[in-house]
Amino acid sequence: MKNSGKLVSFLVPIISILLAFIIGCIIMAVLGANPFVALESLWIGAFGSLRNVGTTLARSTPLIFTSLCACFAYRCGVFNLGGEGQFLMGSIVCCYIATQSGIEGLPAILLCLVGGAVAGGVWSLIAGLLKVYRGQNEMIITIMLNYVATLFMGVVYTNWLRDGSVPQTQAVPDATQLSRLFGLRVTSAFVIALVVGLLVYYFLFYTSKGFQLRAVGLNMTAAEFNGFAVKKYILMSFIVSGAIAGLGGSAELLGTQFRLINGFGNGYGFDGVAMALIGQLHPIATILVAIFFAALRVGSTTMQAATGVPTSVCDIIQALVIVFTVAGLAMVKLPGFKAFLGRLTERRKEAA
Amino acid sequence: MEFVMNIILSSVRMATPLIFLALAELYSQRAGLVHIGLEGLASIGSLVGFLVSLITGSPMLGVLAGAAVGILVNMIFAYATVTLCAEQIVYGMAINIFAPALAAFIYRVYFGAGSELVQVGLMNTLSGSLGITSDNFLVRLLLDQTPMVYLAYGLVIFTVIYFNRTKSGLNYKAVGEYPKAAATLGINVIGVKYLACVICGALAGIGGAYLTTCYANTYVDGNVAGRGFIALAAVIFGRWSGAGVLLACLFFGFCDALQIRLQVSSFGVPYQFFQMIPYVATVVVLASIGMKKAGPKSSGKPYLKEER
Amino acid sequence: MKKLLALLLALAMCLSLAACGGTDTDTSGGDTSGEDAGGDASGEATYRVAMICDSSISDGGWGMSCYNAMVDAAEAYGWETEVSDSIAQSAYYDTIVSYCDLGYDLIYAPGNQYTDAVLQAAEEYPDVAFALLNGGEDTPAQAVNGNVTSLLPNAQQVGWIAGALAGLMTQTGTIAFIGGMELDTTLGKYQGYQEAAAYVGEQEGKTVTTLDIVYSGDFSATDKGIEFAKAMIDQGSDVFFGDASAVDSGARQAIDEANAANGSVTIYDIAQPSDLLGQNECIIGSQVTDNASLVGLCMQAVEDGSFGGEVIYGTLQNGALATGALSDLVPEDIQTKYLDYLNQMVDGTFMQ
Repeated sequence: MKNSGKLVSFLVPIISILLAFIIGCIIMAVLGANPFVALESLWIGAFGSLRNVGTTLARSTPLIFTSLCACFAYRCGVFNLGGEGQFLMGSIVCCYIATQSGIEGLPAILLCLVGGAVAGGVWSLIAGLLKVYRGQNEMIITIMLNYVATLFMGVVYTNWLRDGSVPQTQAVPDATQLSRLFGLRVTSAFVIALVVGLLVYYFLFYTSKGFQLRAVGLNMTAAEFNGFAVKKYILMSFIVSGAIAGLGGSAELLGTQFRLINGFGNGYGFDGVAMALIGQLHPIATILVAIFFAALRVGSTTMQAATGVPTSVCDIIQALVIVFTVAGLAMVKLPGFKAFLGRLTERRKEAA
Repeated sequence: MEFVMNIILSSVRMATPLIFLALAELYSQRAGLVHIGLEGLASIGSLVGFLVSLITGSPMLGVLAGAAVGILVNMIFAYATVTLCAEQIVYGMAINIFAPALAAFIYRVYFGAGSELVQVGLMNTLSGSLGITSDNFLVRLLLDQTPMVYLAYGLVIFTVIYFNRTKSGLNYKAVGEYPKAAATLGINVIGVKYLACVICGALAGIGGAYLTTCYANTYVDGNVAGRGFIALAAVIFGRWSGAGVLLACLFFGFCDALQIRLQVSSFGVPYQFFQMIPYVATVVVLASIGMKKAGPKSSGKPYLKEER
Repeated sequence: MKKLLALLLALAMCLSLAACGGTDTDTSGGDTSGEDAGGDASGEATYRVAMICDSSISDGGWGMSCYNAMVDAAEAYGWETEVSDSIAQSAYYDTIVSYCDLGYDLIYAPGNQYTDAVLQAAEEYPDVAFALLNGGEDTPAQAVNGNVTSLLPNAQQVGWIAGALAGLMTQTGTIAFIGGMELDTTLGKYQGYQEAAAYVGEQEGKTVTTLDIVYSGDFSATDKGIEFAKAMIDQGSDVFFGDASAVDSGARQAIDEANAANGSVTIYDIAQPSDLLGQNECIIGSQVTDNASLVGLCMQAVEDGSFGGEVIYGTLQNGALATGALSDLVPEDIQTKYLDYLNQMVDGTFMQ
């Protein structure tokens, strides 16, 4: 019973992805394009050459950070939807340090990354305090704080740190930029993301603190009854998840974008939540899902050029994956479905 | 004085789509469903409203089509959150990703690679249909409005009466507060929740369609521009009551209008600070009111029939 | 089972929704996609140009004109075209790079705001040619590989062309300008507009003041265009000029509405950068930039292998700048005066 449950929750995202692609193919066919050609060009665009793989991994880097942020918070039962705001606050502080402090090179990089993480953590803590001490719904608060952060970034790049004729900040000095790997577009930010993923994985599944944190997430009342410091864990999960997102914001600024501009980080927070859910809140699976989504985005341009299928088909496929997975995961948790599954396995046992 | 009157007119103009969206959210939350997907519903409503009014030449039909498509898309939300008990906020977010992508896709496919500006005729204002032209402030405020504006305020009045004065409204509210108790009283909890989704989808679709049938005569991707979330803020800021929501929408509309006027008169403070007001106000309200008064009690929680 | 069935139903609904959009295409868009696919299969040898645009190409203004210019030029030179529009500032670089990876010969970026993204991509793709409309005078020199060309219509003259007409036509003595992003070229147009209107007004014996420039910050914010225009009309402005894509369309809508309320057309708009007379009632004339010939020059250079490092100026003198047809709302005598001023601009005696 337990094993079949695991199998089902593993199958749900896979089936969802297949379904989404089938629908995507039908749409393409209706548009008069050959779906197989389209899928092939999608694949080539994302993984067809080393250079394209580099691009895909580069595009996945910020998504990995925000999805790990969501993953960590959800494991503790905290629905942090503020990944985007925390990401942006991190990048704002990072931008300030990188362009205004006068420090350059490795010390600046370290300072930027730490500063970004701290900023993300502090921004997230606001929501944490309101949840713990005022009993408020953290989802609404974090959504509102996302908008505040986005608008604040607007003030920064159109007024305070503006540089030159275009509303954008100065670029990060060359010496402070994160280096590229093997001459590809992917930077060491990707390595940082992987390390963070592994650390989150290790912490959640191989330390006692991680175990307690998950216990809080599974059943808050029971954890409290067992004498766990529930409030402390909740606040910690806010701070750590915010710090991960903030670190991501810094890494993206130092690795890819180099300056704050309009649209920076837009949508990464919600994307991250979706990816964490599809990855079943498992850090490693979450990273894979983030790479999958990045591949869809990178490949879609090639697909549009090759077949004339608009890139928005890929957006629809992404959205459908989310729609199906979330519904599917909710469905398998329903008592009715569990009973159905139970009957199925029993019957199999009887047969054997 | 001129300045103040102009700001009032422009606040009313900017508040109207917010009122539709905020009422959509209110009906949803009163049945215990927190819906952050209004942005998505409005974007598909706005596109479909635009297309239908372009094809038929009737903005009214456009609004109806917007409502219909809003209901249709919201049924995905309804099925997943009410029947399958999926996490509401997450599903709202999924709608926010899905519906705008669909809208962008339909637009791209319908108009092909063409580059012509497509403009539609907007709905007539009451004074326009009556043939009244006047510069009088009151005439402009009260008569120079599209029927949708009157509908919005009418719906607010209806909502206030419905939730406070009718048995059916009290039953509806009970579903959002104590669903299990409501069920023992013989209220069809699941039915009310589905009804809420129909109302929410229709109103959000109308709110979106308003933008392309009454406000701007062109369509651009992303024209909802965060109004869905401002509406969510308005419901919280208005403390889940019809009248409160109306005042919140007018206040947020006022902030937006003021922000535009101040930019035109080259006021020194960055305009983004004015745009922040709705969000900051919401956080402050939530921080100050404490949990007990924060909205319908079972809002956001799934209702499992089997647990009865 | 019932639940599965219901899920299938939900699926079918999504499908039918998507299909609705799909079937519409067959009449309008189907042809294009077929063409694209065919073209790709047949010709590796043909040259290809890709345009990126932050506004929509159906914005009834800047995006539309620039796109049409590319298409016209491509038709003349037998090139293939591709476009990505409505992209965020943070996605400029990613989009340019995807086209470079796809082997496009020329990247056409119509706007000063693309400068940094173009320079960054030009450094990585020395074999790709980049044409930057409204690029800076020193931008080609900044490109390490010498593969960037600035197409630089004279912003001051653009402003003059509109400003002289505005100065002649204003009744209230107040005119307005709506900008999109805070770009140097936009400011240049505004200043030209302001000084020309003031000068022409003085010659005609009236004082013409231009309201301070406002920026929508976003080229797609039609609603901001509406509200800005209404606010500026309330301040007495009766001639508008703008540099903001879909925002201009919003402004024109608001002007049309105000005119309709007055019962006659008394508030005017001057369009750019192609002849848009007749699109809206309020348009009395257009400032026309011959982007097609500028882009054509780049295509010629790419074919000859001589591309790079140039600044191609567009002026009244070389015919790249002109005025479009004037509406009947401009009285005969004013038309004559206006053409007089234009001749002065060509001769270099304007405002001397």
